[in-house]
Amino acid sequence: MKKISLIIFAFFIIFFLTAAAKADDFDQLRKDAANIKTVQARFVQKKQMKILAKPLISEGRFFYAAPDSFRWEYLKPLRSIVISRQGEAKRYIMSGGKMAEDKSSGAQAMRIVLAEVVNWTRGQFDRNASFRASLKEGPGTLITLIPVGQNMAGMIEKIEISVAKKTMAIKSVKIIESENAATVIEFSDVGINKAISDSVFRDVE
Amino acid sequence: MKGVRLLLLLTSLFASCSTLPAINPLLQQSEPVCPSPFLKEPSRLIHAIEVRMAGETQGAIIGVTLIDPSTLFVSCAIMTAEGMVLFEAQAAPELQVIRAMPPFDSGDFARNMMEDIKLIFLPPVGEIRARGMLSDGARICRWQGKDGDWIDVIANEPASMAINKYSAAGNWQRKIKLNRTAENAYSSIELTAKEIFNYSLIMTLIEAEPASK
Repeated sequence: MKKISLIIFAFFIIFFLTAAAKADDFDQLRKDAANIKTVQARFVQKKQMKILAKPLISEGRFFYAAPDSFRWEYLKPLRSIVISRQGEAKRYIMSGGKMAEDKSSGAQAMRIVLAEVVNWTRGQFDRNASFRASLKEGPGTLITLIPVGQNMAGMIEKIEISVAKKTMAIKSVKIIESENAATVIEFSDVGINKAISDSVFRDVE
Repeated sequence: MKGVRLLLLLTSLFASCSTLPAINPLLQQSEPVCPSPFLKEPSRLIHAIEVRMAGETQGAIIGVTLIDPSTLFVSCAIMTAEGMVLFEAQAAPELQVIRAMPPFDSGDFARNMMEDIKLIFLPPVGEIRARGMLSDGARICRWQGKDGDWIDVIANEPASMAINKYSAAGNWQRKIKLNRTAENAYSSIELTAKEIFNYSLIMTLIEAEPASK
């Protein structure tokens, strides 16, 4: 289940890569990332795979506050929330009309993974053993993450992060699992360094 | 003495729930029509699935099922809310596992899952051995498969049906409760499985559509 949590981890790092992607190289990215205090965004996730005639659409929102507070929330179709605060990560799911803690081993493994996320928030994008990151400038900025080692073998082929060059706003993220399966996340209402209530990282509802 | 009586009552209740229930003949002359919630056309269904053990929620996943009742083709996928595919397989009719991540890569998981999907969505294969009514008045038809297993399909009017599977010896293995809406017979499914560790799946329909394979 640690592998599964690494996927969630991959979602988190996207924001810090893109938010700091003005830089020409990863050393500069590390410096820029230090200026990011908060991030918030809405997202639409489109899951594509052979068994689906049309993409499965999910919607949600994301919050981050330095140094280590996260909230990654799906609003539909399956309501779920991951909250990480002061090194403590919990996942909640809708059960009988209420949010209940996910007790699966995946949720346990996430605590380990989110400790890694903290390193990424400090701009150490190219120092994580799980991915090799490259940055390509063109009409837009494209950041590519390639898994290395066995952690993600058979899980992810690569992650492509597309950023608008002028505004540096996150446009989309494509997680390619195989030739028949991919997840595309499109972001909107991205806010950097805007105030976020502490309750966002504390209250589940 | 009270304790002994209570124990006997509980044992009796447990026995009545875990073995084949008695079927009473219908009073009407004509042969009753068997309840049939099963799919008639190729369909694609997407459910939110909540996994429970010992009454406690363990986790939630999304399940995609593609079925063609005419060819018995079954394809299914399990993914996380994040869209990560944990398991994908098809039976056409031979079982082919396309992807299986831990813990879905263990033992007979794929075969058992396909059997559960067929049990929920396809009419039982075998001979009808009995038709009639349960003691509570619900209509029931009982099938027996080639391997001797029993499958009861029960109509609890107006909007609920049940599919119960028993071993050849009459011990229950699966209990499935379907709560239909006007739109779909599979709007809400509750599957209870008797395994080494009993578990329940609470399935809530997200999308359903006709499918062309």
